Amino acid sequence: MRHLDIVDLRADYGSHTVLERINLEVGKGEIVSLIGPSGSGKSTLLRVILGLLPPIAGEVRIGGQTIDYRNKRDVKAIRSRVAVVFQQYNLFQNMDVLRNVTIAPVKVKGRPRAEVEEEAKLLLTRVGLGDKLKSYPDQLSGGQQQRVAIARALALKPEILLLDEVTSALDPELVNEVLDTIRDLATEGMTMLIVSHEMAFVREVSSKVVFMAAGHVVETGPPKQIFDNPQMARTQDFVGKILRH
Amino acid sequence: MDITLQFGQITPHLPYLLGGAWLSLQIAFLAFCGGMMLGLLGATALSFGPRWLRALVGAYVGFFMNTPQLVQIYFIFFALPDAGLLMEPYEAVLLGMTLNAGAYLTEIQRAGFTSIHRTELEAAQTIGFSLMQSVRYVILPHIMKVLFPPLSNHYILMTLGTSMAAIFGVEELTGRALNLNSQTFRSIEVFSITAGLYIVITFIATTLLALVGRGFFRARMRIL
Ligand SMILES: Nc1ncnc2c1ncn2[C@@H]1O[C@H](COP(=O)(O)OP(=O)(O)OP(=O)(O)O)[C@@H](O)[C@H]1O
Ligand SMILES: [Mg+2]
Repeated sequence: MRHLDIVDLRADYGSHTVLERINLEVGKGEIVSLIGPSGSGKSTLLRVILGLLPPIAGEVRIGGQTIDYRNKRDVKAIRSRVAVVFQQYNLFQNMDVLRNVTIAPVKVKGRPRAEVEEEAKLLLTRVGLGDKLKSYPDQLSGGQQQRVAIARALALKPEILLLDEVTSALDPELVNEVLDTIRDLATEGMTMLIVSHEMAFVREVSSKVVFMAAGHVVETGPPKQIFDNPQMARTQDFVGKILRH
Repeated sequence: MDITLQFGQITPHLPYLLGGAWLSLQIAFLAFCGGMMLGLLGATALSFGPRWLRALVGAYVGFFMNTPQLVQIYFIFFALPDAGLLMEPYEAVLLGMTLNAGAYLTEIQRAGFTSIHRTELEAAQTIGFSLMQSVRYVILPHIMKVLFPPLSNHYILMTLGTSMAAIFGVEELTGRALNLNSQTFRSIEVFSITAGLYIVITFIATTLLALVGRGFFRARMRIL
């Protein structure tokens, strides 16, 4: 069953077209990875899905429902069904870890604080931060902050999780703790769209890999195809360069 | 030369000086509050206003930050009556200090605006916050944390700056010290006590502000 469907999507920054005729499907419980050179539009695609940048043409569908990005209610609805973790952690610096995780369920969804806090503690324990509830973001390492950001996204009980290079700002030693967290989510059947430069990880967790370049989807296929037997010259070039590193 | 200090002659006048100190505190507080409002308007105009308004606010800030405060108050006190605006010394000082504070606080608050992290705001949007919720839970606490220390510093400077009012005959702490000096001729005693009172005032204010800043806004402030 299709969970997230992107059809002929186009988006511009000013007069500059950044995404053109993007087509992409993510099935329920599936993990799809977006790869591609810097500036190819991967982050922009996630921003469009979340309604941070209105599309010029095309459609985004969630569970078959088309999102109208001019409609505030639709945008709000999508933000409660789709959660995102950005490249930079974007935690609220003025709140401690527990509040970072609980504020949206309490203030946006209006759920009882006590109940949300219990869930948040479980989530934070699961990402290995059960003892950091009262710490502030600037007292945590990059990997810890990124895991708080993941917990904050999960606290909203999203159907779909978007991850944008969540390990790229981290020291190599910290990458694994974050990847482990994502692996756990994968085994639980969370639908995910992941932008990543960790090719070994992409190959391991994804059922499908989408290669983007210059605002276009160049090639889509299972990891085996994209990494071992790419069909397009542009993909071969990119994969060749990346795997030689 | 034989100097004997005779604080005993001054101590009976301590309540008189304290009364002056109270007036100093009032002037600083009122001018600061007025200046904060002007500053908020100014910073908003500079950050989001149309070009002509930005130019106007820029000229205001430039004028008040590049001329001595004393000259500004003289101007209000002596030049404005010619234009039909008569003012008591106290009012002229208060207006001058408010306008001056407004210029500095415009600059300080604008720096607070520009320090807002766009990415943090984006995160607030993506978890479903409305604009009002973003302002309340993310922007304001951030601005308070960044701005509390420089605002506190400026407040302390303004408290000391109130001594300028003495020149216009306002009987705040320095004004009363001058009166007392001409009555008793115990200059060293009078002015050392006066300096001591200023130190006590600024010490208390600094400590209180640092406690509030650290306690409520996680601002980085030293407690003496
Ligand atoms: N806020 C913006 N305003 C204007 N142009 C932008 C903006 N953000 C990104 N762009 C442009 O959009 C294009 C796609 O950028 P995007 O950030 O989506 O790339 P990316 O694939 O995520 O790259 P990276 O791997 O470096 O994160 C780039 O050409 C970039 O210069
Ligand atoms: Mg990116």
